[in-house]
Amino acid sequence: MLHGGFMEGDAVMVAGSAGCGKTTLALQYLVNGVKLGEPGIYVTFEEMPDQIYRDAKNLGWDLRKLEENNKFRIVCTSPNLMLESEGESLLDESFRDIEPRRIVVDSLSHLVMFVKESELRREAYRLIMHLKTKGISSLLVWESPQMTGGSFAVTEVGLSFLVDCIVALKPVEIESSMRKALVVLKMRGSDHDKRLREFEITPTGIKIESAFTNYEGVITGSPRRVASEKFMDLFRGAAEKRK
Amino acid sequence: MLETLLASEVTGDLLVLFHRNPGLIDTLDSVARRIGRTGNSIEEDVRGLVNLGVLKTRRIGRSEVLLLDRARDREVLDAIAKHLRNLEGVEKIDNTKF
Repeated sequence: MLHGGFMEGDAVMVAGSAGCGKTTLALQYLVNGVKLGEPGIYVTFEEMPDQIYRDAKNLGWDLRKLEENNKFRIVCTSPNLMLESEGESLLDESFRDIEPRRIVVDSLSHLVMFVKESELRREAYRLIMHLKTKGISSLLVWESPQMTGGSFAVTEVGLSFLVDCIVALKPVEIESSMRKALVVLKMRGSDHDKRLREFEITPTGIKIESAFTNYEGVITGSPRRVASEKFMDLFRGAAEKRK
Repeated sequence: MLETLLASEVTGDLLVLFHRNPGLIDTLDSVARRIGRTGNSIEEDVRGLVNLGVLKTRRIGRSEVLLLDRARDREVLDAIAKHLRNLEGVEKIDNTKF
């Protein structure tokens, strides 16, 4: 989908509503990084590390072992500490310990509780640029309400302009079952798959499936079969009756 | 050392919290919230653990934060394990009397 993956040093935003797989995707990004020799840090503001270790283990990722080998760190803290600008930064010790190439912040939405909406964009910019200056690729999780109707806005505070790539995850209801969809909305400096694709959370992580080619309106919350598919269904129905 | 570690329920809760979540870096008040208590009620226990070297303090901007000393945590776990083994040994000796 990304024609070779995220670009080095880029800031990527993964947006989606609760329970759609953002944390799994973020962890997979870091675990794959370790496999490629790129240590990573996972910053969490809400979920406690012991839950993350447990959930990751269910997907076959032993994060404690990666930590022991100085390839990975989980930092659990409060968002306001992340925003402190005086003196040593919260992450400096982890930066020294493992020299990370990747970082996940789960989630950027928590900063809203500590800064005014008008200052959020400036603070997010400062954080992104701090990481870019150190040459660290970042994946920033954003909890967004469902994108419905004709709106494709990812954040309401204009953060989309600050990041290089936006991946949106969305649960969709099709034929009375909940399925998960993923789309790359933006990717600076590289071509990418524009199609909305289905994904599944498997026992080994996220697996991207085929595109929702037979449906339209999936991201707006009103998926319906495209006309040609409806015609094919009618045709199949008629053929069945003749038998 | 074990006297301090086993001194109170709060100290036990703090040890478990930091041991299970070694990447926790937070202020006194936020740490307290994570074990369902208030900053004031854990202050003394935190001081005990800092004096033992199990927890460290650092200044981040205007805030003082608490974090686990991972190396010291391992020493403490070894000490507790040794203590428990000794207790088992005592029990075994006691059992032979009967």
